[in-house]
Amino acid sequence: MTCDELHEHIDPFLDNELGLAEAQKIQQHLEQCPNCESLYASRLAVRDALQKPEMRFLPKADLSDQIHGELLKQIRPPTRRAWRLPAFEFPSWVLPGLAGAAAVLLLWFGSTTFLTGNRTSNGVLATVTGQLVSDHMRSLLGNHLIDVVSTDQHTVKPWFAGKLNFSPPVYDFSDQGFKLIGGRLDYLGDQEIAAVVFQHRQHFINLFVWPKSESTGFPDTSLQKEGFNLYGWEANGLTMWAVTDAAPDTLKTFVDLQRQKQMGTEP
Amino acid sequence: MNEQEKLARFEGEMLPLMNDAYNLARWLVQNEQDARDMVQDAYVRAFRFFSGVRGETSKAWLLRIVRNVCYDHLRKRPVHSSDAELEKIPDHSSPETELQSKSEIAAVRLALSHLPEDFRTILVLREMEELSYREISEITQVPIGTVMSRLARARQQLADLLKQMREKDLV
Repeated sequence: MTCDELHEHIDPFLDNELGLAEAQKIQQHLEQCPNCESLYASRLAVRDALQKPEMRFLPKADLSDQIHGELLKQIRPPTRRAWRLPAFEFPSWVLPGLAGAAAVLLLWFGSTTFLTGNRTSNGVLATVTGQLVSDHMRSLLGNHLIDVVSTDQHTVKPWFAGKLNFSPPVYDFSDQGFKLIGGRLDYLGDQEIAAVVFQHRQHFINLFVWPKSESTGFPDTSLQKEGFNLYGWEANGLTMWAVTDAAPDTLKTFVDLQRQKQMGTEP
Repeated sequence: MNEQEKLARFEGEMLPLMNDAYNLARWLVQNEQDARDMVQDAYVRAFRFFSGVRGETSKAWLLRIVRNVCYDHLRKRPVHSSDAELEKIPDHSSPETELQSKSEIAAVRLALSHLPEDFRTILVLREMEELSYREISEITQVPIGTVMSRLARARQQLADLLKQMREKDLV
């Protein structure tokens, strides 16, 4: 092999893109030729420098939220919203704190049609729980799980207070095996909702909370979706859904603890 | 598959690749806000065409879209040749510049940022994302032979540039 031939093949050699026979020829030449060896060394130096972790740029943590919000707009185009709006029985201003017609639509169905049991309820339930499962899955990717990291309810609760116009219940159940690990803002439709995050052994539980939109009672709902367990209920004017990959029994235990605490009775 | 399920599948498959997408975009458009916009546009575009069936890996597919979005964006801006940009590298008479940080990382970052787009792209894909020639060929839409020769020129140019910077006592 000549030096010119080596120069032609030095990059695929470095990148492991040569066959064994060719790679051996290169290796032999490098051992005998100081000039080519020094070219190879300079290639390696460039590679080492570029592969340092500091060379990579990392996005800020909120980018995945921003992308998620943008993707949600893709699946709920404005035309469909406009078509459904006349079906409202009350105008959006009676639902305080809800941002945008889409959220109004979603939550109105979410709270009323479950109860009346009419034919759309299953579809709406599927939409809400589908989004929550999607939120839950996203929260487990990368470093997205928690915006405020704390095992102290007195840190997490005020953090939400500065960001939402409702106050989600934040209690630590470490003693019962459900450790409070932090909180996060998430989305249901266009509306910001609270996600209180708990850990049970190796499982995470997202407790999603937002203001319920009507005062009528809301039946407990327990279901499975895409391999996750969900439990929804209402209390103190809030709608709550817990989502986890832990077992249904475990989830029920967690929900019972939450409810007892929220009703002011110690478990 | 309804839209909700499609979104959940798409996000499950594609969001774990967001850091890779951002890194490529950031090196191509060279500023944070534009890079964020590029990544977001790429995800929206990818979602529209997402079907779950592809002849390439998710990563190669997404990065191809990111690259195309970035190139479209760069086409709309005034073009500088790399030589013209090199002249903007200040010499040691400008003590306040980033070159004052003499670290090797800063030097390599600066040198890479002054390579032409095609060279930046291929070095990011090969050295940071560690993709194969075949994957790089899919992403950049050039034959494998071109990947090979472009990579050789990119590495050579980066090495030369670093040498030049050291000789001028810039780093």
